[in-house]
Amino acid sequence: MASSLDVNPEALPSPPGTIRPVTTPRPSLNEIYGLPIPLTIHPVPTFFPTNPLWLLQFAYNCVYQIFFSSSHPNPHLKGYFSLETRSVHITEESTTKILWQQGFFGKGSLSRSEPTWLNREMRKRGLLAKVTSEEITRKRREERKEFKKERAKKEREAIERRLKEEGKLPTNDAIKAQKDAKVLENGHANGIAVINENGGPETTLEDPLASADASVEGTRKRLGTDINGGLQSTQLGKRDAGAPNMAVRFSADFDLNQPSETEPAPPTLPHRSEVIENKEHLQLMLEEAFFLVYGLGVLDVVDPETHTTIPTPSLLRLFRHCSYFPPISTRILQPDDPFMLSYVVYHHFRSLGWVVRSGIKFGVDFLLYNRGPVFSHAEFAVVILPSYGHPHYSSSEVHKKETEAKEKRSWWWLHCVNRVQSQVKKSLLIVYVEVPPPPSYGDNESMKDQGTNDINALFKTYKVREVSLKRWIPNRTRD
Amino acid sequence: MTHPKPVAPDRLSDHLIPISLVGGRYLVFDIDVITYLRAQHHICGVLTGSIPHLPQQNVFLGIPIELMPEEVRLLVEKGVAFIVDDVAWHRKGLKELRDEDKNAFLQTLETRGWDAAKVAEQWAKERSENALKKQGMKIPTSAETSSPAATQEEVGSANKSDNADESLFFNSSPPQPPSPRGPFHRRAPTTPSSPHIITPTTSYPPLPSPQPTSLLPPVPPSYPLYAHLHSKNYFLSPGLRFGCQYLAYPGDPLRFHSHFLAVGFGWDEEFSLLDLVAGGRLGTGVKKGFLIGGLEPENEREVREGDGVKTFCIEWGGM
Repeated sequence: MASSLDVNPEALPSPPGTIRPVTTPRPSLNEIYGLPIPLTIHPVPTFFPTNPLWLLQFAYNCVYQIFFSSSHPNPHLKGYFSLETRSVHITEESTTKILWQQGFFGKGSLSRSEPTWLNREMRKRGLLAKVTSEEITRKRREERKEFKKERAKKEREAIERRLKEEGKLPTNDAIKAQKDAKVLENGHANGIAVINENGGPETTLEDPLASADASVEGTRKRLGTDINGGLQSTQLGKRDAGAPNMAVRFSADFDLNQPSETEPAPPTLPHRSEVIENKEHLQLMLEEAFFLVYGLGVLDVVDPETHTTIPTPSLLRLFRHCSYFPPISTRILQPDDPFMLSYVVYHHFRSLGWVVRSGIKFGVDFLLYNRGPVFSHAEFAVVILPSYGHPHYSSSEVHKKETEAKEKRSWWWLHCVNRVQSQVKKSLLIVYVEVPPPPSYGDNESMKDQGTNDINALFKTYKVREVSLKRWIPNRTRD
Repeated sequence: MTHPKPVAPDRLSDHLIPISLVGGRYLVFDIDVITYLRAQHHICGVLTGSIPHLPQQNVFLGIPIELMPEEVRLLVEKGVAFIVDDVAWHRKGLKELRDEDKNAFLQTLETRGWDAAKVAEQWAKERSENALKKQGMKIPTSAETSSPAATQEEVGSANKSDNADESLFFNSSPPQPPSPRGPFHRRAPTTPSSPHIITPTTSYPPLPSPQPTSLLPPVPPSYPLYAHLHSKNYFLSPGLRFGCQYLAYPGDPLRFHSHFLAVGFGWDEEFSLLDLVAGGRLGTGVKKGFLIGGLEPENEREVREGDGVKTFCIEWGGM
């Protein structure tokens, strides 16, 4: 990838000699992700009625556009259909770059979203100093974990200080040290009770220090296998308060806090001559691929066996078959195929200018980004539900039963999805797709064949309704 | 006011507990029964009772408790309780009530009414005496004009005396207007003129206690999971606020946080993987495990012991 040459000046420091010299400052996000879709547009030059040369410029523009330039990439981008993963693979790096930077289509097969495997691999081998988003996330999670640990430790220390002030801190004899562990596990309230049993203020100060040390040592050994590092450190701190001449402090804590496997591997010696083959490709969801083919007309989906471009109508049929599991080619296509529903919604929101990406990580169908994932977090989480309002579906008991099973969701399901979205500060959008009657119904000519070549007419029969939901807690929303 | 309980609390374990089915909901009204079910059978129910004149106060609710169908089914299957179709039983009981029983019940009501009236009268008298004492006046005799409060009391009790022989379900005569009597016709304050009206708040008595029925409540398909978790000594409560079917507590919910968000599925039931993602995320987010389970069919079971329920716990890894 060409962007791998970009060097981030704020990158983590690497050993000298591994960073390539800074050639150009990194372009801004707005420059990289300037185009919202992979189409180039040529605006008409500003109209100057007083300037007769404008006409010439206009004519030149028109001629140039007609003959030499096109809004569509030429030749079309190429993707390979993969039946096993039910996705479209983009293997060319230039195409990958175009599709990611101009509209955020697809996902790297070895990355979280942007295909960054090559960068990560090069960084691992010390060839690149650029930080990938995965590393940033990992770092942030580490920091948060540390922060939580620190906070818990502080809380416990505050409790301890308080207990000390009240004269309830236990003395450092062996039994009490053991009880402390129990106290810490059971929480504050319990702790007071237990300590009170022992009589409170330190009265047995003549305890031999050695035995105290031994007991704490034993406790620490016992706790050594415990994951809770905070507990250990408090234990040691407590011991510190009782016996100030401690030799080793927090050593176990350091061991515990060393997340060796999560740290990025230290850069090894540079192998400048080494060329890493990019083993990553871009995966397009079927909806994305079909939008690029049918909606924008910039992509050709190629059958990997015959190496021929699949025409759009048969591509739609193929995708609709694939949306079932297992994909059965003999199955008669229904107007409520999962692919039809999801594509209608995808197309709807793409047309409104949203960047639509898969929402599987939040348990929803789609996520809507305002400009793209690199600019901001997703604002909406979309759940697709079919709606059978057409009289055909209420005409017989069989239909009613079938549609009811597809429409029906339980309350706990809704609460579950809604709570997940409120945890990540997104609004839940329930999108109802009004399903048209099957082609056998009535004399609707455009619907006669669901595999019709007239895709436009087919999609026109679908309607979309949006309902926005928010979690409302009466206790917290009281005036 | 104390009423005789349908079942004495100390002998609860010997008796079948009636669970009222009212409007499709299973309710328990008796606080002793509620305590017993919670302590002995790990069934908590949900408090649903609100204050009649303060229905907006819906944060702290009281008795009756409402039970889930699964809870009722479990109790019935264990032979602890039975279901009473309250409306039907009430009608039946009223029809078959004998005259002497009815009169005896009315008699007890009246006695209680007199007692209550006496207490009220005493209380009113003490209050007026205290008020007068505070103002440094002497206590009036019965012949003198009584205080306004006492007059009101008098009129109120006179009003009640006319309706005294009525009860909630024997509407024999329309209420008559209170007889116009002046404050001077007042009797001695310690002897009330009429009994208070007692509104009976229980149906049994006067109606005979309901007979055990063998009614089994219909339950959702997730019942095997419920029974399974309950048999493992978990306290289960409805889990709507956590987006699941049951919340499983390791002990009494007043003492513990719940450990699992449980959702029951049929063995061959298809469900969306998105639901697993959402449930796993939610469970991990609130420091609980998302638990799904279902009943394995008899013929597919490898080990034919236990209740055949298999459970799986899902955690969101966040790789």
